[in-house]
Amino acid sequence: MQVLDDLWIRIAVWFRGLLESFLPPWAVQLTMDVLGILLLIVLGIVVVLAFTYMERKVIARVGDRIGPNRAGPFGIFQAIADAIKMLTKEDVTPTNADRWLFLAAPIVVIIPAVLLYAVLPFGRGMVGVDLNIAVVFVVAMGGIPILTMLMAGWASNNKYALLGAFRTVAQLISYEVPMVVALLTVVLLAGTMSTVGIVEAQASFPFALVTPVAFVVYMLAGLAELNRTPFDLLEADSEIVAGYFIEYSGMKFAMFFLAEYINLFMVAGMITTLFLAGWQWPILPSWLWFLIKVVVVIFLMMWIRATFPRFRIDQMLGFAWKALVPVSLVNLFLVALVAKVLEPGWARTGVLFVSNLALLAGAIAIMAQVARKREERARAAGEAAIKRYYGSEVR
Amino acid sequence: MYGKGIAKGLWVTLKHIWGTYAKDIKKFPRRYAPGGIAKRTDYDLYGLFTLQYPEERYEMFPRFRGALMHLRNPETGEPNCTACGACERACPHGVISLEGEGKGKDRKVTAYRYDLGRCIFCRLCVESCNFNAIELSREYELSRYKKDFILELDDLLKIGDKYGIHKTGEAWGVTE
Repeated sequence: MQVLDDLWIRIAVWFRGLLESFLPPWAVQLTMDVLGILLLIVLGIVVVLAFTYMERKVIARVGDRIGPNRAGPFGIFQAIADAIKMLTKEDVTPTNADRWLFLAAPIVVIIPAVLLYAVLPFGRGMVGVDLNIAVVFVVAMGGIPILTMLMAGWASNNKYALLGAFRTVAQLISYEVPMVVALLTVVLLAGTMSTVGIVEAQASFPFALVTPVAFVVYMLAGLAELNRTPFDLLEADSEIVAGYFIEYSGMKFAMFFLAEYINLFMVAGMITTLFLAGWQWPILPSWLWFLIKVVVVIFLMMWIRATFPRFRIDQMLGFAWKALVPVSLVNLFLVALVAKVLEPGWARTGVLFVSNLALLAGAIAIMAQVARKREERARAAGEAAIKRYYGSEVR
Repeated sequence: MYGKGIAKGLWVTLKHIWGTYAKDIKKFPRRYAPGGIAKRTDYDLYGLFTLQYPEERYEMFPRFRGALMHLRNPETGEPNCTACGACERACPHGVISLEGEGKGKDRKVTAYRYDLGRCIFCRLCVESCNFNAIELSREYELSRYKKDFILELDDLLKIGDKYGIHKTGEAWGVTE
């Protein structure tokens, strides 16, 4: 079991020993670094292939369909067939488009997505760099795609692309706030900003159990950051043509697609790291635990996508500013207070868990009250309009 | 309670995900099995009932109007057609053209051209036939790779061998 647990580390050490036998030290370090980077990029592409297939299967099963089943046994080569199709398609640049910006946007969108993998702890001792400000790094790198979307929308020389980009930027900036506050809650509890440190702080209790509110807020904000249903109104595949990347085709479009799924894995990995105790938990090897948790979180996201209709733009922004931000801020104060008073242990976890559930119930109750009020107002207005139209009698 | 619909919706979709997989496992060798679609479609239950087209096909209902077919005499194996030309005269579109040889009872069809691209499947040719020689088959895969929609006598006989008179004729009230 111990062998399985640090299988990958052993392979890396063995390979480094092999290189050291015939290369100078600086060359060994360079080779290992380049190999690590290549591995992360390959992992990104494998993730895209695997999760597009999984997503299509899950969505199909919800609709009582079979899903892809033509390319290879059970359709497992469907993603590869799609990739070949994308690569061989014509690459169109619109007239009067800003050519260099148009070319740069899909390249720039994929770089931060892959960079983020550097701080993700895939297993015990398996992390690209153990940054002591990894959480800040994640937030900063997560901000770059917003710029890219504006780049893509502006460079396309298409008003719909630009409007789509504005919408996306509004959405992403709004959801950045509750996301960061939820992150801050976790940092408060762990006492460190390093992802490795956060995982180690969850040895006894995963933070999803300690602060369910932060977990839910982070999950929802993550869905919004990924532009996934129910927050996918910039794409809204059944209603409008895709937002800021409307003018992109062929490989450039595939880059946006790639970045989307790499980010999906990244957000699921961050949820796992921050709230589900990362690679911890007994019996199975640590990297396997991490993978299982990530797949479960991604399944949860696909499940949500298959279930819920999407928000309207004002509802979505309202939900971020009026619901998620206050709830996460109250939760932050709560956690700060309790973490200051009580020592880590059963008592603190219990108090936080119960108070978090109470906060969640309270928030839902307030939202229900607001919704009911709004409904009553709307009904009253409707009745008044009917009265105006028909005179005093309501038919 | 507010927000109960969220949990309810998630439960419904989850039931479909594991329900279809559970049914797959329970009735394992059914995916491409012959007659698989019949085994899958129990309408009272949920589950997959997608028709996996090239592997399995729906059998059309007896009165379905597909391509024309020629029928054989079951004893001699010869075409029933006597090349009387009634179908050619009845056809409103000039779809059919035919040639025959011999006189009286020995008259046989030698060439029969049926232009599928212009046929409107009105069945007037079948009704005009006095020798039970032609009938509309249940053949519905009528697409072609080329603009070659003219079926010769051999093609029509092949379709006739595939479908035969039995159900088709009964459905239209024709007896042999």
